[in-house]
Amino acid sequence: MRRTGAASGQVPRRGALRLRRLAPFAGIVPFLAYLVLFLGVPSASVVAAAFEDPQGRLTWGNLHLALQGTYLLSFEKSLELSAWSAGISAVAGTILAVALASSTSSTLKRLATSASAVFANTGGLPLAFAFIASLGNFGVVTRVLAGLGWNPYDHGFDLYTLTGLVIVYCYFLVPLMVLVMLPAVESLRREWFEAASILGARRRDAWRHVGVPALAPQLLAATMVLFVDAFAAYATAEALTNGAIPLVPIQIGTLIQGNVLAGQQNVGDALGLAMILVVAASALAYARLQRRTARWQR
Amino acid sequence: MAALTIRRRAGASGAGPARRATAAGFRFGLPLRGAVLALSALYFLVPLLASGRFALEGARGTWTLSAVRALAHDGALWSSLLLSVEIALGAAAITLALLSPTSVWVNLRLPRLRRVLEGLTLVPLVVPVVVVVLGLYGAFPPAFVTSPALLALEYVVLAMPYSYRVIDGAVQSLDLHTLTDAGRTLGGGWVQTFFRVLLPQLRTSLMSAAFITIAYCLGEFAMASLLGFTTFPVQLFQIGTEQIDEATAVSVFALLLVFLLLATLSLLGGKRRVARGSIVAGGDGTAAEPPRPARAGRS
Repeated sequence: MRRTGAASGQVPRRGALRLRRLAPFAGIVPFLAYLVLFLGVPSASVVAAAFEDPQGRLTWGNLHLALQGTYLLSFEKSLELSAWSAGISAVAGTILAVALASSTSSTLKRLATSASAVFANTGGLPLAFAFIASLGNFGVVTRVLAGLGWNPYDHGFDLYTLTGLVIVYCYFLVPLMVLVMLPAVESLRREWFEAASILGARRRDAWRHVGVPALAPQLLAATMVLFVDAFAAYATAEALTNGAIPLVPIQIGTLIQGNVLAGQQNVGDALGLAMILVVAASALAYARLQRRTARWQR
Repeated sequence: MAALTIRRRAGASGAGPARRATAAGFRFGLPLRGAVLALSALYFLVPLLASGRFALEGARGTWTLSAVRALAHDGALWSSLLLSVEIALGAAAITLALLSPTSVWVNLRLPRLRRVLEGLTLVPLVVPVVVVVLGLYGAFPPAFVTSPALLALEYVVLAMPYSYRVIDGAVQSLDLHTLTDAGRTLGGGWVQTFFRVLLPQLRTSLMSAAFITIAYCLGEFAMASLLGFTTFPVQLFQIGTEQIDEATAVSVFALLLVFLLLATLSLLGGKRRVARGSIVAGGDGTAAEPPRPARAGRS
């Protein structure tokens, strides 16, 4: 914009002006094309296939099939798992972020940030193996506890259940929450707290009326991210339970690997579409919540 | 508001000004902070330590390296690692080539779209990997789906939420307009300015972005497994179904390695930034970040 006059040295004509205005967009075309080709096209293909039978005719059959029996159960399990993991991790992660923000050591903060970045992406095999090694039937922690006379497996605990998965999922969701919340917590200004104090607020009141409302938009946003992350996770659950708990991603994985009944080739795509819908619904809920919070804050 | 006014009276007669004045803002005091940090450290470190113990455990509680030794001679594991490294390097190269010009361009010419673009780079977070795999089988010819190149191309997308953030953050902290004006005044074209003026400034961050991408690729299991590639994590999974202690040994070492790499990188990055900040800010060593360029009269 700054250069338009200087570069040409004359008054540009109409068409040239329009071209010049569009020219900057050329710079992001490669990026957009890449994203469309490697993310947009596959996603669209899943949506399209969800409404096709194996002969390519339009049908509701896949979706109908995807919402009953084992598949419906897997949705219930997946939602239950994601809601619990996201809820617990959101609270724990925020508390941890405040504790880190309270620390005066910048080395600790930097170390914690990079550790969080690593742990947040740890999902998958190492995580499953680490928990099998510590809390599995013959894990190190299990044996230590059993040595102390309290074997968790005698008291209803089992790592290879939904509860176990929640404990494991928190391992990568809490750090993710810390990453998102740490900047937000650090932006809570000391002056706001002092202002509340001067108005007579106790520590608890200041948190309740100023701190938490100020963090709320970020907190809700992050919780939705955690929910989606837990909902979509495949590797950890697969490695930990070997498919024993029917979760939606596991079901889709099984279908991809070729365990398909005749005539049901596209039921995986229907499950995929349903997953996309759940994710979209979370995004929508998030946008709504945040708008309401923003209005209330004004 | 009413609640606050009532509390004010209560506070004035009860707690007194001394207690309010010592409050350090929205922070935890030492005991609570210590307890939270200690508990977290316990939760995050015990599984790692347990993995280490598990991996080095012999019969009846002795220590042994037999699991590690067995792995060192595992040819399949090494070849899977080689495949993973190739894919990771490819993905990192594409990431830098695609994302750094895009970020520079957007910040320079389309600052209004910065948020939109940032949002787009987060989309891969919300499309489940299994769904992408389903789509790949549906959308692309089989010959393409069975080529490891596709995995590298897809990993660029999957790691984008992290890599783009790092690159874009660094680009934003540069005084782009002054730097490009300087480069172009000295007679450089856009390409030359980009490579010889901007890239050297972004070196540390580009390295971080590359490492994040590499770390992602070396650990990704779902897509590689469902597309049928025997990458390092897939091979690890295979070993894990038979020899859980060996698999644990490898995974804990791999994790430690990645962690050390990233921690070193972030500490180095922090130091560099402080040093640069102090020069620009005229010896003010406390500047932890480079000062934001003045944007007066721009955009």
